[in-house]
Amino acid sequence: MSIYKIILASFLICLVIQLSHGATKERLFSDLEKGALEVTAKPSRQGVLDAGIDKLSITWKLSSTAKKQANFTTIKVKLCYAPVSQVDRPWRKTENELFKDKTCPHKIITRAYNKSSQSFKYTLERDIPTGTYFVRAYAVDAKDHEVAFGQSTNEAKTTNVFSVQAISGRHKSLDIASICFSVFSVLALLVFFVNEKRKAKLEQSK
Amino acid sequence: MAQNNEDEGSIGTSMHGVTAREQVFSFSVQGEEDGPSSRTVRFDDPTAKFALPVDSEHRATAFKPFSFARPHMRAFHLGWISFFTCFISTFAAAPLVPIIRDNLDLTKSDIGNAGVASVSGAIFSRLAMGAVCDLLGARYGTAFLLMLSAPTVFSMSFVSDAGGYLSVRFMIGFCLATFVSCQYWTSVMFNGKIIGLVNGCAGGWGDMGGGVTQLLMPMVFHVIKLTGATPFMAWRIAFFVPGFLQVIMGILVLTLGQDLPDGNLSTLQKRGEVSKDKFTKVFWYAVLNYRTYVLFLLYGFSMGIEMTINNVISEYFFDRFQLELHTAGMIAASFGMANFFARPLGGYASDISARFFGMRGRLWTLWILQTSGGIFCVWLGRATSLPIAILAMMLFSVGVQAACGAIFGIVPFVSRRSLGIISGLTGAGGNFGSGLTQLIFFSSSRFHTADGLSLMGIMGMIFTLLVAFIHFPQWGSMFFGPTSDEKKSKEEHYYAAEWTEEEKRQGLHEGSLKFAENSRSERGRKAASDRSSPSMPPEGGNPAHV
Repeated sequence: MSIYKIILASFLICLVIQLSHGATKERLFSDLEKGALEVTAKPSRQGVLDAGIDKLSITWKLSSTAKKQANFTTIKVKLCYAPVSQVDRPWRKTENELFKDKTCPHKIITRAYNKSSQSFKYTLERDIPTGTYFVRAYAVDAKDHEVAFGQSTNEAKTTNVFSVQAISGRHKSLDIASICFSVFSVLALLVFFVNEKRKAKLEQSK
Repeated sequence: MAQNNEDEGSIGTSMHGVTAREQVFSFSVQGEEDGPSSRTVRFDDPTAKFALPVDSEHRATAFKPFSFARPHMRAFHLGWISFFTCFISTFAAAPLVPIIRDNLDLTKSDIGNAGVASVSGAIFSRLAMGAVCDLLGARYGTAFLLMLSAPTVFSMSFVSDAGGYLSVRFMIGFCLATFVSCQYWTSVMFNGKIIGLVNGCAGGWGDMGGGVTQLLMPMVFHVIKLTGATPFMAWRIAFFVPGFLQVIMGILVLTLGQDLPDGNLSTLQKRGEVSKDKFTKVFWYAVLNYRTYVLFLLYGFSMGIEMTINNVISEYFFDRFQLELHTAGMIAASFGMANFFARPLGGYASDISARFFGMRGRLWTLWILQTSGGIFCVWLGRATSLPIAILAMMLFSVGVQAACGAIFGIVPFVSRRSLGIISGLTGAGGNFGSGLTQLIFFSSSRFHTADGLSLMGIMGMIFTLLVAFIHFPQWGSMFFGPTSDEKKSKEEHYYAAEWTEEEKRQGLHEGSLKFAENSRSERGRKAASDRSSPSMPPEGGNPAHV
């Protein structure tokens, strides 16, 4: 019976820990001030951008309608998925709870808040997947909690989105190595097989 | 997972020595023919040059896991490590899916379908593997699988879209048939008294590969990234590791291994004869026995669920709890690694319950283990905090893996003649169950993965109720005792029913009768003393346990 008591006790302890954590995790995206920053993201060229090569010119400044700017300490600029890239991909889902939200996983730059207009030239990293994106800048307070944001697209995330094509990850040297080892594997097997058959035949004929 | 498939037969059916009770004529020593062939060899026998004690067929009667002595322990280690390596390769993609899905722009359906494909190939390769081992011997059977599927592992470097990913995972999955060659090899090397433990260890330790890969691949990936490769190239390079392991194991098997205790198949092929059976007959009796289908489904919801979890659990922990890739891998690994003790434990529990309650005890043990596995699976899906999820997962792993061991505590008694095919079909059921559960619960956006887990647990519990339908006239079932019919309640009647009168006249059913006599231990303690029969001392219960 004691093992059951231990299991029950650990379950209760975990439950208590979880409940105590609950309070801090309820920060919601809908509570953030919308459009506090004006963000633009201009691709370096037309068409589908190549990861690792093409750049984005990103600018952000305080919007005239902003109210909470007294709390802003840092600005976190991130690359976010447009809705079309979230279809049938639950690991990119938009959730209201900030800690669960997976819309903007790729960090671009983090800078201290400055009233004047800021800009940054961002080269798309080589681990950015293929997809359609926009840029969002979160204004974060001293406790590292988001208080406001601005994004380069409209609320429905349909305008001003740009497409990125990821690197393939393939390389000729890999392909060649792969073929070499495969051939070796098959050949080694055949060599052993033929050899042994030959030895068996020799023994039989003796 | 499939055991030595196929049984005595023309190609594909020889069950050479699987239960260790039949007379194997090619090795009859000094004309001893009476009684089971499990006797220690005489010390003046000039062929007794083995490191372990052997019986009259030169099969080891002791199991020393720390020894590498040839040929027995060496065969055991080469067998289970080959199987372990193939498990690593088959599930190598799973912990890297968070990277692969970004590189290849996969959707949830793509990932799910590839997971289904990775376990489907083995349904067919396992059924064919028995034939291959009969033709070529266990050594070449294993080596063929390892070295011909190594190119498929290497070909991950060519994959650029969902279709390629699915095809490669499908092709890699064929190598899971090493389970059959491993079990075949141990069955010709080890005596029936200990084959249960040997097969349980080989099966469980091989299955561990599914856990080790969750740890190994993220680590390898991380190290390769440190040398400067981008993530999208690093995961491809990481696949070379399981590929190398397969090639190395293949060469080791060919150079260090030996098909049979006395030598290799090709040099022994002309000597003596093994009693052969007809494949069609053996297949027919397997198909007629309804218990085959019940076991097929039951294994589908123990081993099947285990393989499904191997494919989805790392990604689940990564996404749900926002963990690092290698942290998620570590947690996922502990699921598969529990196999080290959980599966042999299940077999052991089955054997213990049989000692007291006979076959009915085995059935109840199976039901309890598999149902508790299902309950903890439901709990895992419901858990929203990491510690509870891990606790639920560990309990779930023990339940479901022990159930795998317990099922193969029952399989050897379902049929004597068709044991190989039934073992093979049961094993194939595992892959079928895995494909089915992945298809229903984890391939579309219909369910959140967490809900999918809970629903899978519930489905498993429902199917586990089928255990109640396994009824043996001589031993009973979960809710009913043995039949009161005088004739039908004898083990001999059940096992002899698989032979026609003509065959009985030729004496072909002798092996079955011997087996029936030894299986009286499945009556349990109380029942055995109630029914007055001059039973032989029970043979430690379990002939070909896995």
